[in-house]
Amino acid sequence: MRLSLRVTEESRADPPSNPSRWARAWPHVRALLIAMHIVAVVVLAIPDAGGVALSRSAWKNPTVQAELEAWAQRLSALGLKTDAATLEHDVFEVARSWTEGLAWLRAPVRPYADYLGVRQTWRMFVAPHRHPAKLHVEIEQDGQWRPIQVARSHEYRWRSHQFDHARVRSMLFRYGWKRYRRSYRAFAEWIAWRVAEDFPAASRVRIKMVGFRTPTPQEVRSGAIPEGEVRQTIVLPLEDRR
Amino acid sequence: MSEPQGRASSRRSFRPWTRLASWWCGWVALMSRREPGTSLALFRIVTGASLLYALGSVVAADLVPLLWLDVEHGGYRSLKGGWLVQALGGATPAVVGSLVGSSLIAGLLLTVGVCTRPAALVATQGMLALTTLNIHGRSSYDPLLVNSLWLLVLADCSATLSLRCRLRHGRWTSDRLVAAWPRYLVIVQLVVLYTFTGLHKISIHWTPAGGFSALYYILQQPSWQRGDMTWLASVYPLTQLGTAVTWLWELTWPVVPFALWMRTTADRGGRVRSLVNRLPIRAVYVSIGLVMHTMITVLMVVGPFSWITMAYYPCLFRPHELQEGWRRVVARAGSRSAVRADRGEPASPL
Repeated sequence: MRLSLRVTEESRADPPSNPSRWARAWPHVRALLIAMHIVAVVVLAIPDAGGVALSRSAWKNPTVQAELEAWAQRLSALGLKTDAATLEHDVFEVARSWTEGLAWLRAPVRPYADYLGVRQTWRMFVAPHRHPAKLHVEIEQDGQWRPIQVARSHEYRWRSHQFDHARVRSMLFRYGWKRYRRSYRAFAEWIAWRVAEDFPAASRVRIKMVGFRTPTPQEVRSGAIPEGEVRQTIVLPLEDRR
Repeated sequence: MSEPQGRASSRRSFRPWTRLASWWCGWVALMSRREPGTSLALFRIVTGASLLYALGSVVAADLVPLLWLDVEHGGYRSLKGGWLVQALGGATPAVVGSLVGSSLIAGLLLTVGVCTRPAALVATQGMLALTTLNIHGRSSYDPLLVNSLWLLVLADCSATLSLRCRLRHGRWTSDRLVAAWPRYLVIVQLVVLYTFTGLHKISIHWTPAGGFSALYYILQQPSWQRGDMTWLASVYPLTQLGTAVTWLWELTWPVVPFALWMRTTADRGGRVRSLVNRLPIRAVYVSIGLVMHTMITVLMVVGPFSWITMAYYPCLFRPHELQEGWRRVVARAGSRSAVRADRGEPASPL
């Protein structure tokens, strides 16, 4: 059978007068490599439950529990009787098996992703975090505590050019979760050093996350905004950092 | 009698291979197409500028030590890094400074359009090394930017709208033909990005069962909001509409390459093809995308995510479509200038 190429008139490349064997084979090799690239990209992009998503402790977060509760109610209403705990167990097991299977499927293309940057992790805004937290930084001066940095505040804006950057926001989003407490502690140490530089008269710094449930539209309209609760408070002395 | 039957059976068994060979030849022909480099040049320019912004904003905010240096050298936690950082000696100021500097220079070269392939390779490796150093400070635009840069390594993206073109031909534009397949890969990447982002959206808030409330609640999160967003409660139905449109728009993106294929093969005829070609599918998807990314940029702080994504959009158009569109814009601007001149009004400096 004769293999011939159909090239459209407007896009025809000038063929060499006497193409070598390699020149004749190259379009086929190139087409194969392109097909392999596409397969790799699709295989790498298939949703999985890697990283934090396979952490049991992360599933205990109120946001995740509320999701499971809502899905369990919806499925039960559709006749698939279940509850949040059963659904959590079943979904976790399926997610684990699925992720293990995908890891096996991805193994041949993993080096391409890792060394040439063709990673495909598109977990963007998977779910709204209904119980987020805001960073608060306070200093003690003359025995009085006062805030210097509060996330999204127009009033307390110490080093806002840094805290408001998208990458630092990304860090702070994670540090509102318990499983990142070591990194949160390390970040608090970094903050303490900067506070010691910028506020020579301060004796201590207090770093905390204020968690809250995001208000429903009805709560906003009626003015019944849920109150926040202080989490992960770290107090650090500043004298030995100067 | 038995011999002709055997031949017929042999022909029948051969048919799938013939069809497979025909598909393969079609695929090879498609991947051998050449076209002017306008679409890829626009992809390069916006990607290069986005890289400069992504890194420049970190440098300007004095965040390099915090984000990418090991705790021993001024960072806040222990950072190991990928193979490149380890091979160069770890997350030290010299190594990280070299990666940032070389990536910034590469971004500049990409934007102006000289030495684009080596520049894209340097930027790919630089960004890959930096963004895998501290995954806590990583954003979703990082892998997308690295993907873009790798596609620019593969593409001849400086044929037009580049300093290289200016130096070689004495003008900024050229109709020199380049391989079209990198543009197809750019389209594939965009479709994969949107479709799989949609598939990841498993929260009940994205679905009718959750009242399409996802966007309202995402915009209440302090991590990404530009400012206080409680005012959205007064336009809650609009956020519900936005959620439904976003979710369905993302999930159905494979329709776009299908429509593009139908348009490319319009000469083959058929009812489905002629119906699809009558619908403005690409225009609808691109318009929704532009509105969505504009809203993200206005309401949220997510770095250059929207710019990196919108860099892909010119590749949804064939170069001659972009050139034709540009001619129309220029002609319209020209006719307005002529009308102004007739009225005795001063001409626009642009």
